[in-house]
Order: sequence, then structure tokens, then C-alpha cells
Amino acid sequence: MNKKLLMSFVFVLALVFQVLAQDRAITGKVTSSEDGSPLPGVNIGVKGTSRGTTTDANGNYKINASGNAVLTFSFVGFNSYSVNTGSRTVIDVKLVNNNQELEEVVVTALGIEKSKRELNYATQNVKGSDLAQKSEPNVLNALQGRVAGVQITGASGEAGASTNINIRGITSFTGNNQPLFVVDGIPVSNDLDRTNGGPNGTLGGPQSSNRALDIAPENIESINILKGPAAAALYGSRASSGAVIITTKSGKGGSLNKKMEVTVSSSYTVQNMYGYPELQNDYGQGSAGIYLGTTTNSWGPKFGTTPTLANGLLKADGTTVPYKAYPNNNNDFYKQGSIASNSVNLAGGNATQSYSMTLGNTTQKGIIPGSEFNRTNVAFGGTTLLANKIKFGGSFNYTLTGQNNFLTGNGASAPGVLSSLPRSYDLQGLPYKDANGRSIYITSNDNPYWSVENNKTTSTVDRITGNINLGYDITPWMSVTYRLGLDNYTDRRKQVFAIGAARLPTGAILEDVFYRNEINSDLIFRFKKDKLFSDDINFTGLIGYNVNQRKFQNVSAYGGGLTLPNYYNINNATTYTSANGATGESNTLRRLIGYYAQASFDYKNYLFLELTGRADQSSTLPKDNNTFFYPSASLGFSLTDAFKMESDILSFAKLRVSYAKVGKDADPYKLASVYTVTSQGNNVSSISFPINGQAGFSIGTRIGSGNNLTPEFTTSYEAGGNFGFFRNRMNLDLAVYQTISTDQILDVAVAGSTGYSTRTTNIGKMTNKGLEVMLSYKVITGKNFDWTVTGNLTMNRNKVDEIGNGVTSFSVPGSAFTGSVPSIVEGRPYGVILGNKRVRNADGKFVINPVTGFWVAATPNQEISNPNPDAIIGISNSFKYKGVGFSFLIDSQQGGSIVSFTAATLKGVGALKETAVDRDKPRIIDGVILNSDGTYRPNNIQIDAQNYWSQQGTQTDLNVYGATTYRLREVVLSYQLPKSVLAKLPFGDVNISLTGRNLFFIAPDSPIDPELNTQGAGNIRGLELQSAPNTRNYGVNVRLTF
Amino acid sequence: MKNKIKNILRISVLALGVVSVGGCSSDFLDVNNTPNNPLTVPPSSLMTTLAYDASFASSNDLGRITSILMQYQAGINNQVLTYDTYNIRGASNDQWKFELYAGLLINAQKMIDNTQSTSPVYAGIAKIYKAYGFSILTDLWGDIPYSQALRGDNNVFQPRLDSQKDIYLGNTGSQIQSLFDLVKEGMADLDKTSVLKPGADDVVYAGDVKKWKRLGNTLLLKFAIQISRVQPDRAKDEITKVLASADGYVNDNALDFQVVYGSVAGAQNPLYAFNIVNRPDDQMLSQRFRDTLQLYKDPRISKFFTSPTGQFVSFNNGATGAAPASATRSRYGVYLTGVSGEAPIKLVTNFQRAFILAEASLSLGTAGDTQKLFEEGIRASMLKSGISATDVDAYFKANPDVVTLKGTNSQKINQILTQKWIANVGNGLEAFNDWRRWGFPRLDKALNANGGDDANIPVRLPYPSLEQQSNPNVPTPGPKTFERVWWDVD
Repeated sequence: MNKKLLMSFVFVLALVFQVLAQDRAITGKVTSSEDGSPLPGVNIGVKGTSRGTTTDANGNYKINASGNAVLTFSFVGFNSYSVNTGSRTVIDVKLVNNNQELEEVVVTALGIEKSKRELNYATQNVKGSDLAQKSEPNVLNALQGRVAGVQITGASGEAGASTNINIRGITSFTGNNQPLFVVDGIPVSNDLDRTNGGPNGTLGGPQSSNRALDIAPENIESINILKGPAAAALYGSRASSGAVIITTKSGKGGSLNKKMEVTVSSSYTVQNMYGYPELQNDYGQGSAGIYLGTTTNSWGPKFGTTPTLANGLLKADGTTVPYKAYPNNNNDFYKQGSIASNSVNLAGGNATQSYSMTLGNTTQKGIIPGSEFNRTNVAFGGTTLLANKIKFGGSFNYTLTGQNNFLTGNGASAPGVLSSLPRSYDLQGLPYKDANGRSIYITSNDNPYWSVENNKTTSTVDRITGNINLGYDITPWMSVTYRLGLDNYTDRRKQVFAIGAARLPTGAILEDVFYRNEINSDLIFRFKKDKLFSDDINFTGLIGYNVNQRKFQNVSAYGGGLTLPNYYNINNATTYTSANGATGESNTLRRLIGYYAQASFDYKNYLFLELTGRADQSSTLPKDNNTFFYPSASLGFSLTDAFKMESDILSFAKLRVSYAKVGKDADPYKLASVYTVTSQGNNVSSISFPINGQAGFSIGTRIGSGNNLTPEFTTSYEAGGNFGFFRNRMNLDLAVYQTISTDQILDVAVAGSTGYSTRTTNIGKMTNKGLEVMLSYKVITGKNFDWTVTGNLTMNRNKVDEIGNGVTSFSVPGSAFTGSVPSIVEGRPYGVILGNKRVRNADGKFVINPVTGFWVAATPNQEISNPNPDAIIGISNSFKYKGVGFSFLIDSQQGGSIVSFTAATLKGVGALKETAVDRDKPRIIDGVILNSDGTYRPNNIQIDAQNYWSQQGTQTDLNVYGATTYRLREVVLSYQLPKSVLAKLPFGDVNISLTGRNLFFIAPDSPIDPELNTQGAGNIRGLELQSAPNTRNYGVNVRLTF
Repeated sequence: MKNKIKNILRISVLALGVVSVGGCSSDFLDVNNTPNNPLTVPPSSLMTTLAYDASFASSNDLGRITSILMQYQAGINNQVLTYDTYNIRGASNDQWKFELYAGLLINAQKMIDNTQSTSPVYAGIAKIYKAYGFSILTDLWGDIPYSQALRGDNNVFQPRLDSQKDIYLGNTGSQIQSLFDLVKEGMADLDKTSVLKPGADDVVYAGDVKKWKRLGNTLLLKFAIQISRVQPDRAKDEITKVLASADGYVNDNALDFQVVYGSVAGAQNPLYAFNIVNRPDDQMLSQRFRDTLQLYKDPRISKFFTSPTGQFVSFNNGATGAAPASATRSRYGVYLTGVSGEAPIKLVTNFQRAFILAEASLSLGTAGDTQKLFEEGIRASMLKSGISATDVDAYFKANPDVVTLKGTNSQKINQILTQKWIANVGNGLEAFNDWRRWGFPRLDKALNANGGDDANIPVRLPYPSLEQQSNPNVPTPGPKTFERVWWDVD
């Protein structure tokens, strides 16, 4: 501690010099040339001196200057202006808006605002208006298709389901690959806490939310995405997957010197299931063409068939079976959902103070009966300039988020049962429960209606985020800021299985409570010196000191054997189990101290150099070796400014290169090997201690790293350029990058014969190479009519170069069915799925069993699917005619594939539309039969349709589908009341819009919408394991200000 | 100027003050000791684990595969259905990873390491468990990681394979201890002075060292009979020594090496948890087992399997037709499951010992009256399954053809092993071992068999794919399912 105090005194002492010259005072007002409005915060300097000031809230300034000085006025978004004072004492200045996107201010690491011109790396900014009122409660979904370099995939259309986001591919084998989320300068959690109770195990969980869902889109002012380590290096280890920097309205505070403005936003959206495979309606329940009332197959007789004893429609006692298609029995299970969203924002301020307050609520009724998501948020933020010139600000945000959802992701869940619903079963017309409240269905599985009514998971999240910040301009060239942030949430969950549930006949209750707390503190000294060393070099820099602490706790209690029905208190259980942590507690605590510095040099406003360095000291690394340093450097060069080559065609051209290295510490508690409470088995049978009152412990399956663990590093190289054409009507931003991740800290699989399952070590190497293109083109800019096209392209190539130590493949941690295992395979992209692959001969023909006519036994553990897309493209067109706006966004994923259990099941049970085609005809699998001499002959064995389809199995390469998709992601029609009408109304602004989301898609190679990812946010991708389908949304939105 | 300094101080002190809340002492970063798990545990808590790891491994998926192959059960759905047509490649990952090597065996090894110098009784029992666990592995897979296994914490990540011959017989040159010697070393440890001694934590013998020695000798009998076709002299020598040993062997059902389970979820035995609770529709009584028992008028059938309709409803292994309605199917009965999952899992039993000695007396010429031992085995099994002594006597009287050995040695061995097969219901591992040693009882392959490497009943299990991926010493694709292990001579 003494050391730390001493350091702060050094900082302080360094400031104790300053020369103040007393000359004459010059005053004036700075306004915008466009509309004459006063410009607050304009920087004014006296050339050749370090003197400077800024304009106040009314655009007024006062500065002392001697003799015939030159004043320079600079303000982001406006052209700089210099004026010779002569003998004047009042100088009013109009600044010209430079009207270039390049001058757009973006928030970069640590809240540093920069113009795009100065940036030497790719970032992308999205305005809050592009996110709010988009009929999407999850801000990440609203970003889909808008940002180059980013892949965003929702888990499903279930209310509150999580959304995965990866920026520039996956860089860590088993770590968190979601970007760091920073709201108003403080890191916040986007974790996905999973609840997986009972023998359904990890595959039978609800689709929980990622915690970015707590951020209300209506409260977002802007989002800036820092794509690479270069952009995010100052955030340190956690930003190696990029960073999403969110500025909220409450965090920004209101505009200075504005009267109180009230904004009311309301929207109502309806959503319908969309993207489920097409089903056949020609054949009903049965097998081998014969009606069978106990099967879930739809391999029965054709509808309209005359009842006979042979086809089972006529029973032995002479009665007949009513037999017809219920074409919507599956789809009608998913009802129309709705999202109602309302928010009120108050903002205002005066010369020294600003404030903003937001109150919002979103209530979603999901497409699954009884599913629900709701979010209520209250936010307050403000800034004030105290009399002693200290700027003081803060924001506070309370969010209450609730989710009510159901089991998905296995055959016993409602979506699982639906995928094998006979086409002739009247799901809606028949009762789903008996007088005792037990499920009624054709098999021992739960009726889907019973399942969602009785087997629920509820989640209630109370979350508080807030920050306090202090700032003080010590001298014109040096300022200090301090920011303290807090992110704290508790998620109280309860998962219930009613008595009679198919896989838990005696019922069960899981109480699952998550607590997470993060405190982050930054002390930053900033320096600014124009004309450093020479007249042409301007300098800005900073030195910072960061302390971060993260606490996490999960307490859970699992009880089975319920005594009373419909009484869901854990004391209703008769047995408690600790298997797989079902009952128990897990705590983590980690701390990190970081020291960082940045220096930026600007040479004649065309050559920009930026250097950063950061040293972190982490509690999770071995004590004697817990400090690590990583630098970054970037260079930007504006050709048009340097060579004065600006023309009407090429208005701006800047090239940029960067290098960055980011280190990452380990998760807590990775150094030691530990003992655990013994448990064995999985969802088919399991044991857990204590048994008959005896305790049992086992050595853990992980070998601790010992003290040899070192940080993992990601090194990135990036080159790119910004180009403006046709007086900046067209802007092109290109980036190519390569990131190399080495010395990954991971629990690498070891052979079971070692006595363990994994060991923690530094191992492996993975590269990502990619290309990002962003293009915007104002095709028409007229007085009344605008047409703008923006597009983006993302291509990322990931490769696992090396795992090491003889290990060539291991599975991505998390859960998966044993036959479809997301894996890390040397030489292949991250996350390929290993499963059963049908045997083919050298010519690529299926090898057929000469006896059965079916495929010979599949080879397990082969790559069957690669979920990584070749490219992601988004194109948006927006038109504006007077007050009417119209825009539509089309996006496309090219390449990649998905394993779909829903489609596979529908095939196997004969429900998929395709299975009704030529059902009565035999088929011969296009394949070959091995002759005794090693040659092959064409297969000529006939098999029937039922066997043909059902033998394809769930977990084989025959159920992998191309994920190429073209999607009409969004259409918006908006209308803004003209000023002439508004003048007669008490409103400042009235905006009405109609929004459609996910209106239409084409997936040429897949029977199901490939944009499903049952496990949600995380490193497992491309597995659809029988979850809710996606939705198509229509919404109406109104925004009023007064 | 003064104000500036004040302001800077104000901000700096606040900033540093926050740090000092947690960070005044130098151990601010010293928070990496897990509160979630213990770093050491007493041997008693490992002792209980060994019993349940051993019995779980034997009766979970390995038990299911072998019980399907040995046609006690017929597969109807899911994994066991695929086992019934011998599609067993890709299975057994969890068995190596969690049940045997990284379950029973590593915990036995830890117990040995932790107690050898201070409490050798614990180490001795652990060695017996370890020998039993490795015998399961080598019997099913042949050559396996053995002498270099279980040393992941000493940086041995890719243990070599030791041959089954070396594992059973030892190989000094390669520093491979024979399973026989491992058991004998364990038995010797049991006589040493021990600071800690097992009691209630030993759910098998309640810390009774004498009973553990009897088990040790019985394991030696089991190992000896296993290698009797390929190493008859060694087998005979081991058996003769056991018969002369003062420590005795398991000669009473009360001495059986079995593990009692509980009747609440998580404590129920795997036979109950799988067949009755979690996967009741996946498998049912095999027609072959039913037919055999009914042919012999064997009363044990009603203890081994349920009969919800009053009839024993079975299914032909590998048949593709519709299975009988779920509610009518015969599933594992009270002998195997108990009333609610509490029935013990039987590992090494008195009836096995009697059948082993009966077989050895014929095939090796060891001491003992073959017919008496044969009867002793049947009687022990019947009594154990809950048939009353009176009913057993009545059965023996009414069915002399069943309980009397006749014909050539081979025919007699067929009779012995068929009865041993019946008695071993629920323990597919031992039945699979016996069937491979002699080919008795004779089993037709399942209908529609299309798996394995020749669509015949496999005579070994394929190596687990996860082991192949992470241990280059394990061959890929490895031996075919029709390649015999070392002790399986014909």
C-alpha cells in the first residue's frame, strides 16, 4: 500500500508547476455555421503556448492572450479554424461542420472519444436509434447483420433465450469467447448461467438468458464495437475477444443547456413461429403401413384408406379408427407471442449540470404457452461541475428481469415430443391431462401441453449497475479522472418437474441461485500537448491504474421424490442429491491490478501513431509469476492529406496498420488438484454421495497445473484503409487481420488411463484470418429524398494449428450428445462436430451392407459438420422522403452447416414432408456393395421407405444440413410528423414506425431454419437439439418527445 | 494552485482508498485457494467410493453391453438396441474415463499412496480393489494401459499398453506386476500394523480383515480360472495354493463380495435406475434366457425377472418387429433391483467360487468333487436369489437331469457354465468371460446382427475413441471385435 500511495504523490508533485501569464482577455461565442446553435466544449488554444480553454454551455469563451496572438478553435465534427487576434478583444467564430463520417466521434477503450479519422484500427459504431424499437428485446439480436466482423446467432425463438456473439472468430479453446461488455465505462457481465437439474442433466436445461439482455435497447445512446485486440488492448485480458462499448442515455446525461425533454417510446410486437420444417399430411400414425395407436411414427396407412383388419383401421371388434390428418397439430402448439415495450426518458440540463432518467418495461409472452420474459429498468444519470471545478457524475441502473421457460434440448422436452408427433394425432383436441393432473399421451413421454404447464424454470434477476466518476482539469494539458463501477446481480431460479414427469416420475425441484459482483476502478491521468518537439506534432497520452475484483457464487439445492403435488418448496422433497453439483455451492473470487499507458502522436494531421502498454497482476496465476506485460502499436497515414491529392473522386484515403498483443490470466483455482464428492453416471443411471449415510470423496478428474502456469496471449496484426469517394458520399472501410492465440490455458483432455480426464496447462495454437468490408453509399441526397445503401462483409477463417502433447482432438467443454460432439481438432476450424459418418468407398459412394441393403455400420468420431460460415453479408437500404422513411436489411450466411435433431427426428418418424414422396415405392440407396475381390458392384437391394428414412439415424452425417441462408432480416417503415404540424401540437417530435423482423428466409440446403443454436451463447455452435423454433415479428412503435 | 493540489488529492485519495479497502495488506492478490473443494480427504471417504465405483462400473454400461451380448436382455430402444446388433464401437468412453481408470482405479491408487506407510490395511484393501478393476479392463479389452497407468499427476500422459499375458503373469523386465502378485501384496498389507482401520466406511466387510483375505484368495481363483485354457499349469498351481491356504476363501453366501445400495434416487443400484426408473422402455427379458429357465423349470426366473401379466414376456435379440406393449414386458426383478433399487450388486460370489472349482476340477484336475461343487453352486445361487431351502431341495429332487453332470468333460463344462450363466444374471461381465473361455452356453447370434467387425457376437470390446484420441499408444482402429484376447484360446 505504501508503494501505491507514494506513486500517487509522484503524480501529484509532477503537477506543481505552472506559469500563468497575465495579458488581455479575449471573449467570444462559438456557433455552428449550419444553424447558428452555440457549440459547448470547443477547444480553444493560443498558438505557440500551452494556454487553452473550452467554450461553456452557451458557446462562450474567455481566454487570455498577448499581443497579436493566433487562436485555434477545434471541435470534433467541425473543421478547425485559426484566427489572428489583432487587437480585438471580442472574437465570435462560426465553425463549419465538416460533415464527414470520418469525423464521427466514437468511444474507444476507457471511454476515450476519438474521431474516426484518428483511429488506426477497425471499430464500428451503431446508433441507438438503429437498435431501439426494433421488436427485439435482446440488443444483440438487433445488431445482427449490421456489423462487419461479428457473428451473432440466437439460440431460438424462446422468450429470453440467449444470443451468441463472436467478434473476429474464436480465439480461446475453452475460455470465454464473448466480447467484453462495457456500459458507461464499466465492465458488465454478459455471462450465461446455466441451470441443469436432474437426470435430464446438462442436455435438458431451459434456454437461459445471456445477461446483456438486462440492457434495455431503449436506453442505449450508441454502441461501438472494438473488433480487435488493438482497439481493446487497454482493457486488458478480457478484451481479447473484442469489446462492445455501450453508452446509455442515462450514462451520457442530458445535453447541457436544454430544457427538460421527455421522450416516450411505446411498441407492441406480435411474433409467430417461423422456420419449422414442412410436414407431410398424407400418412398417419402407424408402422409399416399399418395403423398402430401406440407409436409416435407416421408410417401408417395413407389417409382415405379403406379400413381393413390388415391396415389396423378396422379393429377386431368391428369398430373403426377415426383417421385423418391434423395438418397444424404441431405448428398450432406454438401460439402467437407478443412483446409490449414502454419507456419514458427525461433529460435536461443547464450550464453546469445535466441529468437523465429512464423508466422502462418490456413484457414478452413467448410462442410456447406460458413462456414469458419481462424486464423493468430504472436508470438515472447526471453530471455536475462543482464550484471547485471538479466534474462529478454518476449513473445508477436497476433492472428486474424475469424469465419463465421450459425444458428444451432433448427428446423428452416439449419440442422433442413435438418432433415425433404423429400426423393424425389431434394434439389440440384431445385432453392432455387426466383427473389426477397426470399427463396423457401416446407414449410415456410427457404431452407437450402438460410438459410446459408443469415442468417449468423461472428466473428472477435483480441487477444493479452503477458508476461514479470524477474529473478535474489540472492544467490545460493534464487532467485526472477517476471512475468506480459496480455490476451486481442475483439470479434466483427454480426448476420444477411435476410428479409424473416422464423422466422424473417422482418429481423434483432445483433451487439455483447465482450471485455475481464486479467492482472496477480506474484512475487515469490524461495528457495533451500540441506542438510536442516540433510545430507539427500533437501529442495525447494517458497513464492509468486499474483494480478489478470479480466474485461469483452459485448455491443450489436439488430435491427429488416430492410428497405433495403442486407444492414446490424444496422441503417437499424426500431425497437430496449432490450429483454433478446439483446440491452444493461454488464460489470464485478473482482480483487483478493493471497498470497501463497510451501515447498518441499526430503529425500534421495525416500521420497517426499510437502506442499502448499494459501490465497486469492477477490473483489466478502462480504467486511468483503473476505479472505480465503486453504492448500494442498502430500507425495510420492519410494519403489525401499528406499528398494533397484530395479530389472530387477520391475525397479521403487513409491506410492503417496495427500490431497488438493481449495477455489473459487463468480462471480461479486452476493450480491445485482437488478432491470432489463422488458421483458416477449420467441421465440413464447415476449415483451420488452420500449413499446410505456414508460420505464418499474422489480425487478430481482434473490435474492442477501446479506453479508452471503462464498467461495465454493473443497476437493480432491488422491492416486496413478508409476511403471516401465522391465528396465522401461513398465510404469504404477495409480491414484484414490475423490473430494468433498461443499458450492457451486450458483443461486439455488426457487419456482416461492416466487416471484423470483433463489437466490444466498452457498448450496449443490457433489462428484466425479474416477480411471485413464496410461500405456506405449515399446514392441520392436530395432536398426531399435520400437513398443510402450500406453493406458489410465478414469472412473469418479459423484454424486449430496445434493442440500439443500428442493430443490431436478433444471436445469443446459443455454438453453434447455422445454421437455429436463439438470438438477442437488439429488442422481444422474450431468447433467442428464429430459424429457417425457413413462409410464411403474411394469414389465417394456409400458402402452398402450386402445382406440388409442399408448403409454398413457408420464410423464413429468423424467430422460430420463444420459450423463456421464462409462469409456473412448484410446489406441495408434506407430511403427517406420528407418525413417518411423506409429501410430494409437483408443478410446472408454463406456456408457452414448445422446438425438438426428436429429435422432428423421428423425424418425418422415419417413426419417430414419429404418422407411422403413416393412412400409406397421401394428404394435402392445410391451406393455400392463390396465384392469378395475388393471391387465394388452397384447396390441393387430394395428397401422400403420407412426403413430408408428411419435407418438414417439421428446422429449421423445424413442429418447435417448446409447453413447457407438468405434472410430479409428487417423492414422498417417510419413516419415523422412534419414541423408545420408539430408546431400546432405540444410535441417536439413524433415518430411512428412499423417494423418487421425475420420476415422471410431461404435456406436452400436445410429443411429447418439453420439459425438455431440450442445451447445458446457459448463455444458450442451449430447444434439444434430440439428447441423452440424461431419467430417472425411485426411491430408498431411510437416515439413522442415533449 | 492550492485548490488544484487539493482537488488532485481528493481524487487520488478516493481512488487509492477504494483499492485499500481490499488491498491494504500484501495478500490482496492471494485469493486463489479454492473454497469449493478439499485438497485432502481421509481414507475412509475413499474407501466408500471404491465399493460404489467398482459395483457401478460392473453393472452400468459395461454390464448392459455384456448382458445384451450374453442374451439375458434384449434391446428395444436407444443405445442397448444398437448393442443388440453388436454396434458397440464408440461406446465405453465414460467407462474408461469416469468409472474405471479415472474412478475406481485412480481412487484405489490414491488410497494406496496416502496410506501405505501409515495405515497399510487401507492400502491392502485398495490393492484388492485395484486388481479387480484391472481384471475387468484386461478381460474386456486385452492389452491395456496398466503398469504406467494412473500416473497423470506424475506427468505420464500416454501410458503404454501392457499385454494381457504380462498383466496376468507379470513381467519383471518390463516392471509389470502380475495381478496375482498385486492381490497377494494386498493380502500381506492386511496383516500390518495400521494407524487407521476401516469400519462402517467399508460397506462390504465392515473392516473385517479376515473376510478381505478370503476375498483375496477367491479373486486368485477367478484369475486362475480365467487363464486356465492358456496357462493350465500356472492356473492349477494358484488354485491348489488357495485350497491349501489357511486364510480360506468365500465359501458362504454371507461372504459374497457385493455392494448394498439404497432406495432413494442417487443411491439406487444401476440395474434399478436404468431398467425401472430412467429407461424402462429400452430393454427387456431376452427370449433365450426365458426359454432356458423355463426349460429347466427354474424357480429363479420369478426372482430374476418381473411378470406384470403373470407371464414372462420376452423379446428375441435383434428382432425388428414391434416389441410387446411396455406394460406387459418382463424386466429385471427383485433379486437384481430390490424393491426400490437397494439390492446389492454382486461382484465375486460364493456360487461363482463353487462353479470355478467345479470347472477346475474337471479341466485342471484340481481337488474337489465336481458334482458336489456343481450342486453347491446351483444351491448357493438359488438360496441367494430367495428360493427357500425346502424349495431348493424339492427342485433338486424333481429335476435330477438338470442338477446332475453327465457325458464328456466338455458336456459337463457346458452344464456347469450354463448354470453359472443363469446364476450370474445381472453380472454380464463374468458370463462374457466364461462364454469366451469355453463357448458355453452356446448362443446363436442375434437376428439382424450387422455390427461388430464380422456381424458375430464380439469377443472383445473396441478401445474407447477418447482414449485413442489422447493416447497414441492405443491403436486406431485397434483390434477387430472378432480378435480373441490372450486367454481366449478357441
